[in-house]
Formats: sequence, C-alpha cells, structure tokens
Amino acid sequence: MSNRRNRLLAAPLLALLALLAFAGPASASGESVGSCIAEKLEELIEESHGDLDEVLHELHVDTSIGDHFEKKCIEAPSPILPETNEIVWGGSAFLILFVLMVKKGFPAVRGAMDARAEKIRSDLDAAEQARVDAQSVQSDYEARLADAKTEASRLIDEGRADADQVRTGLIAQAEVDAAGIRERAASESAAATAQAISDLRAEVAGIALGAAERVVHASLDAEVQGRLIDAYIDEVAGTDG
Amino acid sequence: MADPRVAGYAEALFAVAAAEGDSSVVEDELFRFAQALRSDDDLGSTLADTGLPLARRLQVIDDLLGSRASAVTTALVSMVVGAGRAAELPAIVDAMVERGAASRNKTVATVRSAVDLTADQSERLAAAINTRTGRDVEVRVVIDPSVLGGVVTEIGDDIIDGSVRRRLNQLRESFR
Repeated sequence: MSNRRNRLLAAPLLALLALLAFAGPASASGESVGSCIAEKLEELIEESHGDLDEVLHELHVDTSIGDHFEKKCIEAPSPILPETNEIVWGGSAFLILFVLMVKKGFPAVRGAMDARAEKIRSDLDAAEQARVDAQSVQSDYEARLADAKTEASRLIDEGRADADQVRTGLIAQAEVDAAGIRERAASESAAATAQAISDLRAEVAGIALGAAERVVHASLDAEVQGRLIDAYIDEVAGTDG
Repeated sequence: MADPRVAGYAEALFAVAAAEGDSSVVEDELFRFAQALRSDDDLGSTLADTGLPLARRLQVIDDLLGSRASAVTTALVSMVVGAGRAAELPAIVDAMVERGAASRNKTVATVRSAVDLTADQSERLAAAINTRTGRDVEVRVVIDPSVLGGVVTEIGDDIIDGSVRRRLNQLRESFR
C-alpha cells in the first residue's frame, strides 16, 4: 500500500517536472520586456547623464539602438523555465490542487482503491471459499461416487450371487423335474403297456368267448339242454348242504 | 313283503284264485304272465300307460291270455291293470305265488332256464333242492335265453347257478 501511495504522490511531481522541462518560451517575455527596456533606457539616460532628449534623439537617429533593445530585452523565452508569475500561479494552483488532492482526492481515491482492494479481496476470498466449497463438493461427490461404485459393485456381486443361486436352484429343480418326468413317463409307459396288454387280453378273451358262446349256442339243441338240466339236477342233489 | 299295497293285492289275488278252486293253475299262469311282462318292456309300458283307454289295455290282455289262460287269470290281470297297478303286477304276482306256496307249507324256487323244464325235471329238481336245503319247494320256471344252457335256481336269497353263462363268465374272468 505504501508503494502504491508513493507512486501516486510521485505522479504529480513527475508531471510538474515534465511541465517545467517542456514548457514553451511564450511566457519568457511579458512585463519583463518593459522593465528590460526601461532598464536599458535608464542605462542610456545614465550614459547620457540624464539627457532624455539626447537619448530620444539617438534612438530616433540610430535605430540600431532600438534593435539593440529588442535584441537585449525582447529575446526568446526560455524553453524550460516559465515566467516567474506563471511559476507562482502554477505552483500555487498546483499546491492548492495538491492539497486538495491530498486532503480530499487521495483519501477518496485511496478509499475507492481500498474498497476496490477489499472487494477484490472479498471476491478472492469468495472465490477461494467457492473453490474450497467446490473442492468439498467435489470431494463429497467423489466420495459419493466411490460409495456408489462400491454399492454398485456390491449389488452386482449380490445380483451375480443371487443369479448363480437361482440358476443353481433352477438347474436342480429342472433336474428333479426331468427325473420326475422320466419316472412318470416310465411309469406311464409301463402302465400303458400293462393296460395295452390287459386290453389286448380282454379283447382276445372277448373274441374267444364270443366265438365260444356262438359255438356253445349253436351246439345247445334240445337234447343238450335236457342233458344240461339233468346234470344240474344231479349236481344239486349230490351236493351236500 | 315290504309294500303293503303289493301284499294286499297279492292276498286278494290269492283269495280269488283259492275261491275259484284252482289256485295252483292260476298262480302258474299269473307267474308266466308276470315273467312275460318283465321280459317285454313294451308290453309293460303299454299296460301301465294310463293315457291309453282302459278298454284298449284290457283288449291287449284279452288278446294275450284269452285263449291261453283261464278266465280267472285273465280277470285277475284285468283287475290289476284296471286298478292302475300294471307296473306293480310282477311284484304282486311274486307275492301271490309266495303266499300260495306258503299256504301249502312250501317255498318258491324260481328256476331260470333257456328252455322249459319238463314236469319230470321239475319234480326231480324240487326233490334235489329238498335234499340239498331241506326245504319243500315249488318250482317256478322262468324262460331266460341269457342263461344259454343249464339252470339257475333262486330260493329266497340263495342262488344255485349251474348255467352255461356262469361258466362262460368264469372263463372270461380267468382270462383277466
């Protein structure tokens, strides 16, 4: 801050030096030309021992004296130094301006600068805080991401384990079902075979019995019927109660 | 004899037959007619059809029994049918036959055969049953072609099966 203030104070001084260094010669003559001419006239008057008319006459006759005055008094102003009154007025104005600047301007500028610096500092602090917050958020996000990855990995492992278990169970169940199906198929096949044999046997028996019945029926004439009845009567009579 | 109505009709028929003096013949004719009713569903349904005029049903009875049975038998059957009990006639006749046999201290032996038994065969069969069971029976023959040959005798709950049908059935069972 002190460096910045020193630089701020040095700036007007440098401006003053530049003004003095590059000031124009326009202000070199002015009232000093009159006094110079007056001095030269006084010197001529003194040289003429107070004879003003002679002096005027010489000036009138010898115009070179006027030229000499002009050369002596009306010379080009200094390219560096202004006239004294300008220096006084300029210096006064500068001092007034400098005082005003020191008393009012500089504090205002310094306040503005301080406010600006404070704002920048605040912004920097806010930015730092934001960065810290962002870093915290990022850390939290990364932690959450890591947790999520861990959870996802755990879920995947659990899902894989469950899938393996389900697959194992399904395979076992399928094997059991297949065994049951094979067993049932074998049982049904055996039953169907037995049923087919039974049906075939019944069919053969029916055919044989039908044929036998037709043969018997054809052979059962009245004589045979009579013998059958007689045989039955003998059987009933010969059977013990 | 579970049904009092059947028993009542049977008692009435027996009483009429006994009153007419030839109950054995009437019983035999009624028994054969009852067996015909059992074997002929159309005849049974015709006689039991109250939608038909009674005269028409009585005419059917007269056509069937008029020349083949006694007048008492025809009259008794007409009486039962006229009373609207044609469907119960076989049971009434069975009860009447039982009642008649009981009056003679005998038991009815229902004999099913493919052909009718001769009188000699009936007597010998009655004697054989008496020998076997100790009961004095009256043989009532039912012609049943499904018997094929031989005889099936039913005495109450006892059955003596000597039919060809039974032997064929035994043969059928042996095939299983």
